Amino acid sequence: MTGKERILNTLNHKTTDRAPWVPFAGVHAGALIGKNATQVLTDGELLFDALKKVKELYAPDGMPVVFDLQVEAEILGCELVWADEAPPSVKTHPLEDTTQMLCDCKQPEPDKGRLPMILDVMQKMYRTYGEDTALYGLICGPFTLASHLRGNNLFMDMVLDEAYVKKLMEYTTTTALKMCDMYIDAGMDVIAVVDPLVSQISPEHFSSMCHEAFKTIYDYIRAKGKASSFFVCGNATRQIEVMCQTGPDSISVDENVEMKAAKAITDQYNVAIGGNIPLTTLMLHGTQQENMKYVVNMLDELGSDNLIIAPGCDMPYAVPAENTIGIAQAVRETDSVREMVKNYEAPKEDIEVELPDYQHLEKPLVEVFTLDSATCAACTYMMDAMNVAGEAYKEQIDLIEYKFTKKENIARCVKMGVKNLPCVYINGELKWSSIIPSREELFGEIDKHLKQ
Amino acid sequence: MMSQNYEQISELLQKGNMPEVVRLCQEAVHSGAPASEILEALLSGMSVIGGKFKRNEVFVPEVLIAARAMNGGLDVIKPLLASEGVQSIGKVVIGTVKGDLHDIGKNLVAMMLTGAGLEVIDLGVDVSAEKYVEAIEEHEADIVCMSALLTTTMTYMKTVLEAINERGIRDKVKVMVGGAPVTDEYALEIGADKYTADAATAAEEAKMLLTA
Repeated sequence: MTGKERILNTLNHKTTDRAPWVPFAGVHAGALIGKNATQVLTDGELLFDALKKVKELYAPDGMPVVFDLQVEAEILGCELVWADEAPPSVKTHPLEDTTQMLCDCKQPEPDKGRLPMILDVMQKMYRTYGEDTALYGLICGPFTLASHLRGNNLFMDMVLDEAYVKKLMEYTTTTALKMCDMYIDAGMDVIAVVDPLVSQISPEHFSSMCHEAFKTIYDYIRAKGKASSFFVCGNATRQIEVMCQTGPDSISVDENVEMKAAKAITDQYNVAIGGNIPLTTLMLHGTQQENMKYVVNMLDELGSDNLIIAPGCDMPYAVPAENTIGIAQAVRETDSVREMVKNYEAPKEDIEVELPDYQHLEKPLVEVFTLDSATCAACTYMMDAMNVAGEAYKEQIDLIEYKFTKKENIARCVKMGVKNLPCVYINGELKWSSIIPSREELFGEIDKHLKQ
Repeated sequence: MMSQNYEQISELLQKGNMPEVVRLCQEAVHSGAPASEILEALLSGMSVIGGKFKRNEVFVPEVLIAARAMNGGLDVIKPLLASEGVQSIGKVVIGTVKGDLHDIGKNLVAMMLTGAGLEVIDLGVDVSAEKYVEAIEEHEADIVCMSALLTTTMTYMKTVLEAINERGIRDKVKVMVGGAPVTDEYALEIGADKYTADAATAAEEAKMLLTA
């Protein structure tokens, strides 16, 4: 089963061999190739390179092409402020001081704003990975877009001028439908309507002023033969049910929502649910072990039906790659990772591990620690790179792989203080973690040790 | 002034009916009610809204509209409070940190703090460390509140704390932090006094800090 089939089956509520996995690597994709957020959100070539890296390291079943809720706002006249490690923010709101509507002539077209670049990358992604990977086109939800245009006044309008809010929502719904057209034409399989602010209004307000807009969008996507997802951020516990009533194929929530309770609701409506790996406490600041454990527990608790494993929202820029690699492995090889986590936490007194005498080695010793190079994509690439060196240097170096699937190797990792996998140590010293070195870099390092 | 009128003020405030809250406050003033009592009625209404917000029973629009009604009432009694010698229970300087333009959360906290009887000086968004320090000194603030929505801007809170330390005023001001990525651990790590997860709790904790 390909990743794409896995996602589409889940969104169509059919069985899969396992839960699919969708890393929301937006600006974080840039971090993987050493480029900042602004660079990957404005330069198509860099964006494509970054996405290739996401595919290579995280082995996703589905992936977003661009995670930036300001694309539409920018076209509609909002001024943006750019950042190095986050998507841009909206600075000005064209309708802040007026209840007039924007001209229809401002609506997005393929030649406006950053769309030429985005559509081009989408097409490239479709040609390169479209066969086996579900590609997500993310659009700004109509309510959040309305707030981009109107600013915080929108919240007061909901109480004081419902008719105006509905009119504004009609405008932003038109925007959303235009974005759907363009993204679907460019090869996107799933349209994700990302509307973080939905969690900030009451279910009653949602039903009276937003329901129509979202339902129109999901019906439209379905009529075009594509799947949809409704992304929300924050504590949307109270809104899940009214969100389901708009008819998306799936809903994606963050750590503020308790998955089990939410899934009980989404299951009733036969809507798939995605989420909710905590972004800051776990992905950004947690260890690889903690990330794997969270996902295994989630799968054990929720089963894999109607479920998509994903971060709570757009991943922070600086998430250590190894944490996401660990998550990917936990989704793909849940049973073996469950064992790893258990063995890692168990006392290891019974396993004696002798470390090499690193100060007195006869030749350079390259030790590769992997989750399992046979099943973990990032580990496979890392091991392949090392095997190239093994081939080239032959007897001049010693090369060894320690797979984390074996208890004694876990004990070795603990003894050596290995924190993240895959990683490479040369003569007992950590050289690379997660990010695979180039051939030049790797050979250069080995040469240095050969001369010593 | 009868207590049932105070109850009415509180209830209308919760419904966000500013014109009626203003009218009732004016009536109360004309009938000779002490401004401090009218203030209590306004604050109690806001406190109910805060509690409901915390419990996810009301959401941003309801809080904003209630705060608007509260501010309408406060405008009526402000001059009288001063002449009656009623003082705010403390002063707070609040802002969203530099690099971050998100203000909904910060605004909600500011409203709840006002609703808890504190004087709030709102520095807006994208606030630099220098600006925080200046405002703390200028207003002799008891508390400074910092907000951030992004993991990348959250780190600026530490910069602000360092500036406060360098200026030698850390012992004069309590530091509160909040925002989606902020946690208790982070607050502890950077040496802030308090993290709270929602606006209503922020107001409660601010009052506690002032009496501590």
